[in-house]
Amino acid sequence: MKKIVILVMMLLLAAAFARGVTLSGAGATFPYPLYAKYFSVYHKATGVRVNYQSIGSGGGIRQLFAGTVHFGASDAPLTDKKLAEFEQKRGTRVIHVPTALGAVVPTYNLPGVRAAVRFSGPVLADIFLGKIRKWNDPALAALNPGVKLPPLPITVVRRSDGSGTTYIWTEYLAKVSPEWKKRVGVGKSVSWPAGMGGKGNEGVAGLVRQIPGALGYNELVYAVQNEIAYGAVQNRAGKFVRADLASLRAAAELPDFPPDTRVSLTDTPAPEGYPIASFTWILVYRDLDKNRAVKSAAEARALAALLDWIIHDGQQFNEALHYATLPEVAVRASEANLAGLLYRGEAVIPK
Amino acid sequence: MNLRRRYLRDRIMVVFVYLGTLIVLLPLGFILLHVFTQGIGALNWDFFTKPPAPPGEGGGGMLPAIVGTFVIDLMALAMGGLLGLGGGILMAEYPDHPLNRPLRLVANVLGGIPAILMGLFAFVLVVVPMGGFSAFSGSVALAILMIPIIMRATEEVLRILPWELREAGLALGLPRWRVTLSLILPAARGGIVTGLLLALARAAGEAAPLLFTAFGNPFLSFDPLGPMDSLPLKIYVYAISPYEDWIRQAWGAALLLALLLMATNYLARRAMRRG
Repeated sequence: MKKIVILVMMLLLAAAFARGVTLSGAGATFPYPLYAKYFSVYHKATGVRVNYQSIGSGGGIRQLFAGTVHFGASDAPLTDKKLAEFEQKRGTRVIHVPTALGAVVPTYNLPGVRAAVRFSGPVLADIFLGKIRKWNDPALAALNPGVKLPPLPITVVRRSDGSGTTYIWTEYLAKVSPEWKKRVGVGKSVSWPAGMGGKGNEGVAGLVRQIPGALGYNELVYAVQNEIAYGAVQNRAGKFVRADLASLRAAAELPDFPPDTRVSLTDTPAPEGYPIASFTWILVYRDLDKNRAVKSAAEARALAALLDWIIHDGQQFNEALHYATLPEVAVRASEANLAGLLYRGEAVIPK
Repeated sequence: MNLRRRYLRDRIMVVFVYLGTLIVLLPLGFILLHVFTQGIGALNWDFFTKPPAPPGEGGGGMLPAIVGTFVIDLMALAMGGLLGLGGGILMAEYPDHPLNRPLRLVANVLGGIPAILMGLFAFVLVVVPMGGFSAFSGSVALAILMIPIIMRATEEVLRILPWELREAGLALGLPRWRVTLSLILPAARGGIVTGLLLALARAAGEAAPLLFTAFGNPFLSFDPLGPMDSLPLKIYVYAISPYEDWIRQAWGAALLLALLLMATNYLARRAMRRG
């Protein structure tokens, strides 16, 4: 009996300790190192706590739909069908707020090969289709003159969970290979013809590091931070490009930018652009009161202020973590979108 | 001759028994030794007093997870303990009650359900209606996990008590609830406390039911209605990460959790001996 009384008292005390606004979000692993940095800095600057858990893009969208988080995060923009579902069942549009530009790179483990291996889109598609099985295949050798490729079998490593990184990768392969488009298609999870699966960007990186002859795909920062070799990819202009800040920025220079920011950057026509680049987005309800997780106007305002901070002040942290900053057009489009955020019909961002 | 052969056979069997015991103990010893050697280096002042740092930066600690583990587990123990005790008392003290058969069935089925389903259950029942992840929903998931263990332990302990004890109370004119509360429960206190602590130890090691309920939180939080971190959750996230420093801290958290569980088990044994 005494124990229970003490417990109840502890809980009351605990409730009294709770203070300040806390926002929660869930989704993509692709920008997780960056978001962790953002939210750590933002907490120190404003006192607002943002709790982000990287459970994968698919999970982030599901939790946003269930109304259990303030925002979701995904590297794949919502499809028209999914947007219509939100509108129908939740009665609100979903706003895409791009936060950074990232690259998906082919990561590999080839003992003894120093130079960056060159790939082309069709060759990557054939490898992931299981048609090219050896590193010294003539198709690969033709792309890499002067590099002595070992006669190792290629172990394909891909994601086992619903992933935005997979979406970017398969979207690119479908653009450059008609056979991939027909047999496998595009999606956050697809039925892979070959290879073994790892959980999250972390899991794929781990497998590639362990298996000689492995070939996988990762967000650039995971390859750099864990010192995994990654290859150059031939872009549409015929140039072999390695992912870096310059080639990412080049890929994001678009003649016209859609107002909802849902845009694909893969297979860019830019001559210096890296062909497997993408924005990564934070997703929020436009009518924030429709989200059960947003419990007050104060929380809605805090969320809008956070997003506004990310697309402006937050951008300075992108490049240190190998993500490119947003191009000016994307920032302008997002400002317009954020100005449209409502809580019970009232704008939450001060003009 | 015959006698000597018998002695010999006896000795051989004893050797086999020792060998068997050793084989059973060996993995446990290896696990503890491995966790200890890998984890001891991560346990420093920062580990106990700092919130986690962003990945790749290094440093940071486990303070939110340590606090969260205690808050979530104690709330779960309060809820699961009350319900489990109630169920156990009903089954032991009122053997003819019509609810007993379904209750025993439920306890058996609950005991066999994988822990992750408890998390899904709490997600659907608590997280979605409340519009957010919370420590409370995690406690509900763990409480459901504890209930069958506490129920069975309570029932068994009460069964052992002699019926004469109850008869004596009834003969004095005490109502039945008074007998249970004032005579039976104090007499069985040691065993009940053991059951509670064992259930606590079982639940405290679970990460799966907390994934979609307590959710995790990099900031120190005492709010039972907000997301909260926990040691098993942190181990799960950190151990599969590619960052060396996080993996080191995951070992440290594993060691701390193992020490806490061993302490709980030790307390449980002591309570049993006293009872």
